[in-house]
Amino acid sequence: METHLHYEISQFLYKEAYLLDHRQYLDWLELLTEDIKYVMPLRVTVDNKTKSNFISEMSYFTDTKEDITMKVERLYTKSAWVDNPAPRQRHFISNVMIEPTIIADEYKVRSYFLFKRSRASEINTEELFGEREDIIRRENGEWKIAQRTVYPDQAVLTVMNISMFL
Amino acid sequence: MKAEELQQIKEKVEEGYLPQWVVTDPEIYKLEQERIFGTTWLFLGHESELNEPGSYITRMMADDPILLMKNKTGEIKAFLNSCTHRGTRLCTVDFGKKKTHTCPYHGWSYNLDGELIGIVAGNKVYGEKMDKSEWGLRPVPRVESYQGMIFGNLDHNAVSLEEYLGEMKWYFDIMLGRSDGGMEVRGLPQRWVAKANWKMTSENFAADPYHVQTTHRSAVEMKLTPTDPLYASFGHQVVLSNGHGINVITSATGKSANKYQGMPESMWPMFEKNLNNEQLGIFSRVTTFVGGVFPNLSFLSSCSGSEGTKHNHLQFRVWRPIGPDKVEIWVWYMIDKALPEDYKEKSYKGFLATFGAAGTFEQDDTENWARIIEASQGRMSRDRKLNYNNVANYLMGLDNLEPDENFPGPGTAYPSCYTDHIARSMHKYWLELIMEETRG
Repeated sequence: METHLHYEISQFLYKEAYLLDHRQYLDWLELLTEDIKYVMPLRVTVDNKTKSNFISEMSYFTDTKEDITMKVERLYTKSAWVDNPAPRQRHFISNVMIEPTIIADEYKVRSYFLFKRSRASEINTEELFGEREDIIRRENGEWKIAQRTVYPDQAVLTVMNISMFL
Repeated sequence: MKAEELQQIKEKVEEGYLPQWVVTDPEIYKLEQERIFGTTWLFLGHESELNEPGSYITRMMADDPILLMKNKTGEIKAFLNSCTHRGTRLCTVDFGKKKTHTCPYHGWSYNLDGELIGIVAGNKVYGEKMDKSEWGLRPVPRVESYQGMIFGNLDHNAVSLEEYLGEMKWYFDIMLGRSDGGMEVRGLPQRWVAKANWKMTSENFAADPYHVQTTHRSAVEMKLTPTDPLYASFGHQVVLSNGHGINVITSATGKSANKYQGMPESMWPMFEKNLNNEQLGIFSRVTTFVGGVFPNLSFLSSCSGSEGTKHNHLQFRVWRPIGPDKVEIWVWYMIDKALPEDYKEKSYKGFLATFGAAGTFEQDDTENWARIIEASQGRMSRDRKLNYNNVANYLMGLDNLEPDENFPGPGTAYPSCYTDHIARSMHKYWLELIMEETRG
């Protein structure tokens, strides 16, 4: 059972990455619950190693399903220049760890990510990396993402913008 | 850099052109480091970021790491963030609170006034002749603030910050001094790196509402902004002293559908108390303030949300040059302390959705900044003799726009924001500085 669950959820995350990398954003939206919280706080550098080095007061985004849907719709307009030409992107997802929560059919899922992007004929590639903490839920037999917190490992991001979904 | 090359730029700038090679030229970049970033007032942070004695933040002035600390008497001091013993970077974190800063290399420690207070094995290794008072942290030569905005200057002989800001103070008063208790920075600035030249990003904010209707066309397609291609032109572009400038954008009617940028009515009596009639007049009609303090501080005060429930947000940003073709972007989100929490939260969300690294408006800006770099590095665009006449066009409004004498604010106000008056003024000031020998 444990192994099977791990396999199922990992496959779900890989499929999600595939949809994103292939710009199938409308299909990707289907993987998100209506009440999703999708957040990326700022990584900061603090003196005390034991304290959190994220701040909750400021983030790069704190999106609801409505916010995400609008971002997706915008990418499908004729004049979202950041996506024209469309950059090539890859999400590498690894180190998947699953824990049950107190709610049946809901799991806390941690994964590592490495995001790479190549834009037009640009030789230098951009990257972002870090960790994600998700709440993944089974709704009517389908896996859905109910919450995602993206923890970047950099205090100064080395991407020109965050037009991608992580 | 040859004198005749600078002279040639000067002639072009006066005619409303900018030779494209100056955008990314390494020699120009060196001159800028010395003569612009070494002599002008650079933004370091806001007083609300340093709450109590011992609070500290670390910042950058171009390539110099800076440590700002609040001392026991509540004064904010700024130092080169470098141990005076062997030059080690003293503090490597973004913010915090402590009474002393100790260097990890040999253990020299400094108090909140930057004084050297501890040397490991002191007299035993240095004898009696070492005078600690000579080895305090190197202070930033000038640190001054206006409306809570802290600036530093590496030039001892610089004019005062207030004199440098000049006419901009009047507009800063509207954005920063309108409500009781002033503004507060939320959290820390967002930071990321873009492929861009600092002059072009500064110009984008200070001088260029013309880009809005094309670069941000997706917002029109999404029905978030008006379809009229002139919608960002209404209002005044105001040229201020020392290369500063502000666009006071209104609407086709000269008014805003959201009085006082959509701030709640409970705040209005405060505005009426803290601002004069001319300032109130402008603030009540403006939809967007967007502008810049030369060289690399930009600001944007706008509204987000659906019509009728728009929420104002204010951001300041620094374009820290890290090369001719790269900037580290720092974005501070600020909000009136006196606003209700609920409003603050909605405003913050509006900010994140539009500007900041993940904002939908921002994303398309970064694309254009990168494309300028990509097309400004080759032989043709770097042609200093201008055989190909390779100049960028800054002719808009040059011969066909006269200042509006009735505009109530200081500065020279042109009755449209689609004009290159601020850009030309920035280039002139930029050139004046890079042609000047460094002062003693």
